[in-house]
Amino acid sequence: MNNLQYQLGRSFIYSILIGFALLYLAPLYVMLITSLKDVEEIRSGNLIALPESFNFSAWAKAWSSACTGSDCQGLAPYFWNSMRIVIPAVLMSTVIGACNGYVLAQWQFKGSNFLFGALLFGCFIPFQVILLPMAKLLAVLGLANTVTGLVAVHVVYGITFTTLFFRNYYIAIPSELVRAARLDGAGFFTIFWRIFLPMSTPIFVVTVIWQFTQIWNDFLFGVVYSGPGTQPITVALNNLVNTSIGGKQYNVDMAAAIIAALPTLVVYIVAGKYFVRGLTAGAVKG
Amino acid sequence: MGAINIQNLVKSYADTEVLKGINLAINDGEFLILVGPSGCGKSTLMNCIAGLEEVTSGNLIIDEDNVTDLNPKDRDIAMVFQSYALYPTMTVAKNISFGLEMRKYPKDSIEHTIQEVAKLLQIEHLLQRKPSQLSGGQRQRVAMGRALARSPRVFLFDEPLSNLDAKLRVEMRTEIKKLHKRLNTTIVYVTHDQVEAMTLADRIAVMKDGYVQQFGTPYEIYNDPANRFVADFMGSPAMNFVECVVIDDKLIIESDGKSVQLNVPDGQALIKAGIDTVILGIRPEMITEPKPHGNSGYITEIPFTIDVTEPTGPDTLAFGTWNNQEVQARLSPEAGAKAAQSNQLLVQIDTSKAVLFDPHTGKRIRT
Repeated sequence: MNNLQYQLGRSFIYSILIGFALLYLAPLYVMLITSLKDVEEIRSGNLIALPESFNFSAWAKAWSSACTGSDCQGLAPYFWNSMRIVIPAVLMSTVIGACNGYVLAQWQFKGSNFLFGALLFGCFIPFQVILLPMAKLLAVLGLANTVTGLVAVHVVYGITFTTLFFRNYYIAIPSELVRAARLDGAGFFTIFWRIFLPMSTPIFVVTVIWQFTQIWNDFLFGVVYSGPGTQPITVALNNLVNTSIGGKQYNVDMAAAIIAALPTLVVYIVAGKYFVRGLTAGAVKG
Repeated sequence: MGAINIQNLVKSYADTEVLKGINLAINDGEFLILVGPSGCGKSTLMNCIAGLEEVTSGNLIIDEDNVTDLNPKDRDIAMVFQSYALYPTMTVAKNISFGLEMRKYPKDSIEHTIQEVAKLLQIEHLLQRKPSQLSGGQRQRVAMGRALARSPRVFLFDEPLSNLDAKLRVEMRTEIKKLHKRLNTTIVYVTHDQVEAMTLADRIAVMKDGYVQQFGTPYEIYNDPANRFVADFMGSPAMNFVECVVIDDKLIIESDGKSVQLNVPDGQALIKAGIDTVILGIRPEMITEPKPHGNSGYITEIPFTIDVTEPTGPDTLAFGTWNNQEVQARLSPEAGAKAAQSNQLLVQIDTSKAVLFDPHTGKRIRT
């Protein structure tokens, strides 16, 4: 009797979970099959029906020849723009965050808690608030409309988050470890390099995923601080969808959207299992 | 090489003084124990010796060198931490050799030292393991190995045994003592466990409230305590404290409706001090069943009503009251068993080692 009840309960829970999973996956499914249909079939057919034949021409077009405004080179150049922005910005903000976190957690100085509080405050500053002053600053520095400028903005904005992650991870490590290493003759950087970095893999993964997703998906900074040749893929996607020559090409739009989302998906799939593990490890002990 | 001279050392955090002028002279090769209740400043003092805390004022001299303002790494000191503080991502061998590597020892001499230390501590089979794969006792050994590898002038031990279970603690205690015998290097050892302090130390510094209350050999600390705090803190079971009325140079004890006068070694001081009550400090082992004794003049017999007995094996502790204050006696198991049945026993009090304290200040009264 008990066993039957248990199984009933389980199947109830699983059916709800599966139902919600399908609900969440439905848009992706629609995007995917729509991108593989031709325009004719989309217009006449059923939204959720499988395509009659798999047709990858929309993908090719989205990648290399679709028009984003007056420029018809597809998403490819903007994809590489995004890479040129994201990779240095992620690496720099992560490394700086690791150093900051190490100092704030293990080498506390007078006012270090205040500094940490002030840095945390940076997490709550909305993008819109700094939009105009940052534009002015970038212009003064000669970085307006450049990839370098966008990297700088993302690094500065990211430091608050990366510092928070690393500080909370390192605060859980007993300070006796630093003391032992100091007595052993190791200095500030040696301790960081030889003792703290080797045990930081989970938090590095968390930070990289977080920063990669944030910066790759950013639209506002991308649209404001980029020039014609330096737009990131999110801006290009917007332009592509808003440019229509002849009828709306939903298949190309869908393929372009998936292309734009692909790198973050890949990062999650490759490193996702560390993400939850690292986040909770830092949070629970911190 | 490793004589430590601590001169007037003061350490304060903001407004609170944690160490209020510590003076200690530790001889080369001596095993010094810093003992005291938590918050007494013993760990702070150790961190000051290590250089992990800056001192506010005073001097710290090792051999001939004034190391007060030196970096920890330049003091030639090694420390064993309470949590062991092993480097989690390094193997045992790497943990041991890290300090040598930092000091740029040649490779083959490092290799040699690792083997030597591992052999001494019997951890040769663990060298390739990570700390997470070790038991508590093994981690303890590795932590000691890391300190030993550098053969420093001074070893510091910060409550190294407090994370081990009772049996292992006793084993490691003996081992540390053997190690000290063998190496003959100065050791400063912090503990709050007075048994550890008594068994290991050449000399003990009992600390409380940022002061050294007494600095002496275990024998002196146990038999000739400087004040009531030291007498109370050292010794298990703890010393009995009984407030007594003074008549001339004698103390009055009332037990079971009978009153006796006790002779005490410091009796003359009572007359000089001219006080009417005093705290008698007497250790439980000095209150026993009547035994054959010479005539020292310090043996008194008195009936004792027993509330509770606690057999410990080698002897039995019996609790009763004198002058309406609780007193512990230490009886033989046979006398204890008899006493448990009848609740009544004639005991002898040996006051030859009794000490007297001022009831208000807790200071010793002595001739």
